Amino acid sequence: MAQFLLKRLLQVILVMFVISAFCFGIQDSLGDPTRELAAMSMSDEERENLKDTLGLNDPLLVQYGRFVGRAVQGDLGTSYFFKEPALTVILKKLPATLELAFAASIIIITISIPLGVFCAIRPRHWFAKFTMAVSVIGISIPVFLTALALIFIFSITLGWMPSFGRGEIVEVWGYWSTNFASWDGIVHIIMPAIALSSIMLPLFIRLVRAEMLEVLSSEYVKFARAKGMDSLTVYFKHALKNTMLPVITVGGVQIGIMVAYTILTESVFQWPGMGFMFLEAVNRSDIPLITAYIMFVGFLFVIVNTLVDLLYGLINPMVDLVSGK
Amino acid sequence: MTLLTIKNLSIEFPGRHGTERAVDEVSFDLSPGEILGLVGESGAGKSTIGNGIVQLLSAPGRVSSGDIFLNNTKISTFSSKEIIKIRGSRVGFIFQDPMTSLNPLFTVENQLVETINKNLGIEDRKEASRIAIDLLDQVGIPDPEVRIKQFPHQFSGGMRQRVVIAIALAGDPELLIADEPTTALDVSVQDQILSLIRKLCRERQVGCLLVTHDMGVIASVTDRVAVMYRGKMVEIGKTAELLTSPKHEYTKSLISAVPRSSKKIERFPLVEYIETTAKGLKHIDVKTHWLGQGTRHENIQDLLEIKDLNLSFVTRDAFLKKNRKYLQATSDVNLTVKQGETFGLVGESGSGKSTIARMVAGLQKPDSGSIKFDGVELVDNPDPVAVQQARLQMQMVFQNPYSSLNSRMKVDDIIAEPIQFHRLAPAQEIRTIVGDLLDHVGLGRAAGLKYPHEFSGGQRQRISIARALASRPRLLICDEPTSALDVSVQAQILNLLKDLQDELGLTMLFISHDLPVIRQMCDRVAIMRHGRILETAESEDFFEHPQNEYSIELLGLMPRFDKIYEVEATV
Amino acid sequence: MKNRFLLTTCLVMASLLSFTTANAKDLRLAYDADPVTLDIHEQLSGGMLQLSHMSFDPLIRWTKDLAFENRLATSYKRLNPTTVRFNLRKGVKFHSGNPMTAADFKWTFDRLKVSPDFKGIFANFTELNVIDDHTIDLVTSGPYPLVLHTSTYIFPMDSKFYTGTDANGNDKGAIVKNGASFASTNMSGTGPFKIVSREQGVKIVFERFGDYWDKQSPGNVDRIIFTPIKDEQTRVAALLSGDVDFIAPVSPNDFGQIKAASNAELITMPGTRIITFQMNQKRKKELQDQRVRMAIVHAINNEAIVEKIMKGFATTAGQMSPAGYLGYNPKLKPRYDLKLAKQLMKDAGYEDGFSVTMMAPNNRYVNDDKIAQAVAAMLSKINIKVDLQTMPKAQYWPAFDDRAADIMMIGWHSDTEDSANFYEFLAMTPDQSTGMGVYNSGNYSSDYVDTTTLAANRETDSAKRAEMLQSIEAKIYQDAGFVPLHWQNLAWAARKGVDVDPIVNALNFPYLGDLVVQ
Repeated sequence: MAQFLLKRLLQVILVMFVISAFCFGIQDSLGDPTRELAAMSMSDEERENLKDTLGLNDPLLVQYGRFVGRAVQGDLGTSYFFKEPALTVILKKLPATLELAFAASIIIITISIPLGVFCAIRPRHWFAKFTMAVSVIGISIPVFLTALALIFIFSITLGWMPSFGRGEIVEVWGYWSTNFASWDGIVHIIMPAIALSSIMLPLFIRLVRAEMLEVLSSEYVKFARAKGMDSLTVYFKHALKNTMLPVITVGGVQIGIMVAYTILTESVFQWPGMGFMFLEAVNRSDIPLITAYIMFVGFLFVIVNTLVDLLYGLINPMVDLVSGK
Repeated sequence: MTLLTIKNLSIEFPGRHGTERAVDEVSFDLSPGEILGLVGESGAGKSTIGNGIVQLLSAPGRVSSGDIFLNNTKISTFSSKEIIKIRGSRVGFIFQDPMTSLNPLFTVENQLVETINKNLGIEDRKEASRIAIDLLDQVGIPDPEVRIKQFPHQFSGGMRQRVVIAIALAGDPELLIADEPTTALDVSVQDQILSLIRKLCRERQVGCLLVTHDMGVIASVTDRVAVMYRGKMVEIGKTAELLTSPKHEYTKSLISAVPRSSKKIERFPLVEYIETTAKGLKHIDVKTHWLGQGTRHENIQDLLEIKDLNLSFVTRDAFLKKNRKYLQATSDVNLTVKQGETFGLVGESGSGKSTIARMVAGLQKPDSGSIKFDGVELVDNPDPVAVQQARLQMQMVFQNPYSSLNSRMKVDDIIAEPIQFHRLAPAQEIRTIVGDLLDHVGLGRAAGLKYPHEFSGGQRQRISIARALASRPRLLICDEPTSALDVSVQAQILNLLKDLQDELGLTMLFISHDLPVIRQMCDRVAIMRHGRILETAESEDFFEHPQNEYSIELLGLMPRFDKIYEVEATV
Repeated sequence: MKNRFLLTTCLVMASLLSFTTANAKDLRLAYDADPVTLDIHEQLSGGMLQLSHMSFDPLIRWTKDLAFENRLATSYKRLNPTTVRFNLRKGVKFHSGNPMTAADFKWTFDRLKVSPDFKGIFANFTELNVIDDHTIDLVTSGPYPLVLHTSTYIFPMDSKFYTGTDANGNDKGAIVKNGASFASTNMSGTGPFKIVSREQGVKIVFERFGDYWDKQSPGNVDRIIFTPIKDEQTRVAALLSGDVDFIAPVSPNDFGQIKAASNAELITMPGTRIITFQMNQKRKKELQDQRVRMAIVHAINNEAIVEKIMKGFATTAGQMSPAGYLGYNPKLKPRYDLKLAKQLMKDAGYEDGFSVTMMAPNNRYVNDDKIAQAVAAMLSKINIKVDLQTMPKAQYWPAFDDRAADIMMIGWHSDTEDSANFYEFLAMTPDQSTGMGVYNSGNYSSDYVDTTTLAANRETDSAKRAEMLQSIEAKIYQDAGFVPLHWQNLAWAARKGVDVDPIVNALNFPYLGDLVVQ
C-alpha cells in the first residue's frame, strides 16, 4: 500500500513538472498580460516597466527557475486579475466546481445504472430501444446547446429556474462554500448539473448496458441460474457488481475528466468555478493562473485515478494493492 | 425405475436464415446412480440437451417438440417460475470452465450459502455455513473452514471445479448435468474430478448426464454412452460394448480418430466423415516444386541445440530487488532436436513448454543459455543477419487458429506475405505458389480469396500451416496445434503434418499436453515440469518404460480406452 | 375546484409580486466583467471608469449630448492660457466620513501623474495648486485645449483614508499592478454608492451612500447587486427570466429577442469607438501607392458590413472622428465604389492584383472576425488575394506589436473624447521617442498631420482648433491613410420600469446614481 501511494506521489511530481515546463514553453503564445493590465494608450516605456516588474522580460529559463523555486514552497505565483496567490484563487473556486461535478455525478449514477441495466435485461423492450436511440442523439448534442435550451425553457419561458450563478451559498467548515445547505443553492445547481451530466450520461448508459450484457452472457451468470437463483438475484447480485467494475474504472476517470471539462457549462451558467475561472484567465492572459490551473487539474487527475484504483481494489478481491500486485 | 426420461426431444434455434434444429428427435433415459455419457463433436447438440432439460437455452432457442420427465413429472412444460424451483434443488449443473463459472467478486461461502438458502430452504446463515463447510469437505477440499472465506481466484483450477461440484450438490439434487466438466483441466486433475463425480453419484444415487467430446473421459467414467452427430443420436449403448464394437459409421470414424496411447500408428484412418478436403486439388511434386527448393543441409545431425536455457518472470514487482518474487519459467533446459525428427515436449499447463517454443522462435529473450540452430547461435549473436537467416528457416503453428491469423487480410495475402517480405520467389510466381500451397494443405486454391473468419477451426489451422510453409522452413514449431480442435479434425491435421514431414523432410518441435497425441506424432519426447526437463527418451521407450516418477504417474492418469474394464471392475 | 386553483395561483402570484416590489429599490446589474481592482488609478479602462462614476465623482462630467456638467466643481474659468481655476463644492463627504477638500484633489492629481496608465493623459499638466480649501488651479505646460476634457478624469480620492501604511507596512496609497494593495481592496470616494461586499469575479454589493451630496439627483436605487455575466446569451437570458434588471453590453444578435420580450427594453446609441483597418506601407510596397490604398477603401462596402454583419448596430464611418467631436468633418462620407476601385488598381498597374496577409482579433470587437472575413471577400473583387488570420485578443496584441501582417484591424476609443487623440495614436508618424503613432501599424506618415496635430494641441480657441482638426481628417481621407469601417454603437437592456435611457451616454458610463427604478 505504502509503495502504491509512493509510486503515485512520484507520478504526481513528474506530472507537475512536465505540465509546468509545458506551460512555460507555450507562455509566449498565451498572449501579453500587460494588454489586460493596462490601458491601450499606455506608452511603450511604461509597458516595458510593467513587464520588468512582472519579471516577463527575463529569459524563459530564469523565469522557470524562479517559478520552480517558489512552487517547491507551495507558491504557484500571483494571479494578475485576482491579485491573490493563484493556488488560493483555485482553492476558492474549487468547491463550486466540485459540487457541480458531484451533482452531475449523482444525476449520472442514478439515471445511467437503472437505465443501462434495464436496456441490458430487456433489450427488445420499446423503452430500451428508445433509450438507446436517445442516447445516440444525446452524445452528439454539445453541452452549451443543452444549457441554453434549459435556460430558454425553464428560466425564460416558464420562469421556474434561475438562469445563472450559484445563488445563496453557505460557508461550512470555515472554508467550503456549499450549494447544498439552502433551498436557493439547490435550485441554482440543478440546471448546470443537468447540462454537465448530459455529456456523460449517454456514454454511461451505453457503458453500463454493454458491460451488463457482457456479464449476463458470462458463465457464472449462467451457473447462478443453473443453481436455481431467481432473476432478481442473478441481475442485481451476481451481474450488477461485476458490471460495476469496468464502470468504476472508466466512469471514475470520466468523472475526473468532467471536473476539468466544466468550462463550457460554467461559462454558460456564469458558475463561479475553476472552469470558468480558467476560461477567463486565458482571455486575460493571466499566465500564473493558467499555469497553476493546468497543474492543479493534472494533480486532480492523478488523485482521481488513485481513488478509482483504491475503490476498484476494494470491490475486486483479485486486486491486492497491499502487496503491490 | 428411471430418473430421467427424454422422449423425441427436438430443440430449435429460429434465426434470420431459417430455423436451425440443434437437437433432432432424441430419446433416452437415465437411472438413479447411473452415469450416461453424451459424446460428439462441436455442434452435435450434446450441450443443448443438457441446457434444454432445465430451460437454460440461450435465446432464441426453444424446445419445439418432445417430452422431458423427471421422476415421472413432466418438466418440459413447466413455467419459468416452476423450473427455477427445479434448478439447483433437483437438477445440479457443472460447467466446463471452473475459472469462469464462479462469480469472482463473492466468496465461496457467499455463493454456497445462497444456494443452500434457496434450495434447502435453510434461512439460518450459520446453519447454512455449516452445511457448506461439510460439502466442501465431501468434495475433498482441505481446510474447508478457512478456504470457505476465500474468493474463487484463490483456488486452483481443480479446486475450483470441486467448489462448483459442491455447489451443484448443495441442493441435494436427483440429477447432475455435467457439461464438459474436465475439459479445461490438466490430466492429473481431470482424473481426480472424474473419480469424485463417479464416487458421489454412486454414494448419493444421483443420476448423471455427462456431456463431453473426449472419448477417454467416456471410457473411464460412464456406464452407458450416447453418440450425437449433427443433432441426432446415432447410437446408444453400454460403454464397453459401444467402444469396442461400434455399429454406426460415424461412431466408428470417431473412435478411429482418437489418438491411442497404447500403440503408435502411421495414420489416422477413416477420418473424413465430418470435414472432407476440397476436391480436384493439384498435386505437386515437391522434388521439383518451389516448395522443395529451400535450403537443405542433409549432412547436419543436430538441427536445434538448446543448452542451459534459463528464464524467469517477475511475479511481484518491488522497489527493492530483494523483495521481488520470480517465477522460474525454465531452468537449465538442455535438449537437442535432430534433423528430420519430431521432438515432443510434453507437460501440464505452466510447465514451461510453450516458453521454450517462444524463446526458440525469438518471441522471448532468455536470461541465459544458448540456442543454436544449424550451428548458428541465436542468443545475443552480434550478427543480426545470420540470426534472421536462421529464424527464416523456422516457423510456428499456434494453438488458437482464431487469433493467430489477421482477420482483415485475405488468405492469399496472409500466405504471400512471408514470400514477398523475404523475396523468396519472383513476384510473378507468388500467386501460383500460394495456390499450390493451399492445394497442398487440402484447402484448394479458391480458398485464397476468402477471409479467415469464413473458415472452420480445422481449415484455419490448415491456413496457418500453409503460411508457415511459405517461408520454406526446416523447423516447424507446433505449439498445441490441435488442442482447440475436434477429435476428427485433429486427426486430419495430424495426418497432414505427418505427410508434410515425410515429403519435405521437416524437423518438428511438437508441444502438447495430450499424451496420446504425442505418442502418435513424436520420435523422441521430453517431459517437463516446473520449468525443468525431467526425462528425455525415445517415444516408444517413454510410453512403455517411463523412468521418472512423474512420468509414470502422468501416464497412469491418462484416460484410455483400455481402462474401461478397470473402472467396471471397481464398481 | 378549478376556481380554487385559480385563486391559489393568484395569491401566489400576488405574494411574489409584493416580494418584488418590496425590493424595488434594488438594482441587479450584470455587466460582462467586474472591475479588476478598486483602485481607480490602477488601470485605465471602460470598466474602471464605470466604477469611478458609481463610487466617486469627477470635477465635471460629460452630459448625454457631450457637453460638460459640473459635479464636484461648482464653476471654473480660464485665468490665463495655461491656468484654469475650479471652485469646489462644499459640504461633500467621503464614504469614510472625511470631508472633501482641495487637499484631496492635490493628492489625487499627484497620484494620477505617477499612474502608469493615466500619466499619459495628464502629460501636459504641470501642477495642481491649492488656493484655498475649496479652490484649485490646474496648470498646463503650454496652452492646452483639453483641460476640461481631462478634468472628467479627476475623481478625488480620500487622501486621509489612503495615507499611511497598511497591516503589512506598505503605503496605502501605492499603485500596485502586480498583486493586491490597500487601494485595490479598499475604497473611499464621494460617489453615490459605496461597496458593502465584494467577491471578485462573482458579485459586488453596493449600497447608496447616506451622506451623498447630490440631494437633487432623482436616483432612487438603494442597493446595487453587481454580477459579472461573461456569456452574452446568459446575460440576456438572466434579464429575460427576471434574474437581473439591467445588462450591458448587448450583442446585436440578441436585439430581436429583447425587442420581442414584453418585460424588457433595449436602448442603443451611437458610440465613439472607430473600427479600422491599417495598410502597412513598410511591409508591402504595393500599399505605398496612394491609388492602391484608395482602391482598397473604395472596394470595401462598409455600408453592407454595418447592415448585414452589424445588423445596423453601428454607424458607417468615412473618418475617425464621430459626429459631435471637434474634428468631425461632415464632408467626408463613406465611399464605396467598386468600379472606381478597379479603375484605380488598373491605373496603379495592379489590374491583376496581388496578395496580402491580414490579421484581426476574434474576441475583441463586435463581430470582428466576421468583418475581417467580409473585407477579405470584398478585396478579392479587385483581385487582391487576402490570407486572413483571426485570433483571440491575447494572441492578437503581440502580433499587432510585431506588425505581423500587411493589413491589420484596430479599433480606437479616444480617452479624451477628442479627435486629436485618434491622430496621436493612429495617424501620426510612429516615433519611439515621442510615443506618437504607437498604434499606427500602417506606418502612414504625413508631415501635415504630424505638425497640425501638435499645433492643435496648443490651440485653445475652439473654432480655430476645429478647423485644424477637420483639415487633418480631410488630409488623411485624401491620402487614404487607413480604411474606416464604422463606429460601434452601444447597447444596454433593462427590465421595464428601470428607466435607463436618461442615464446612459455615448461614453458608456451609465450614471447609476441618477437612475430611477419604478
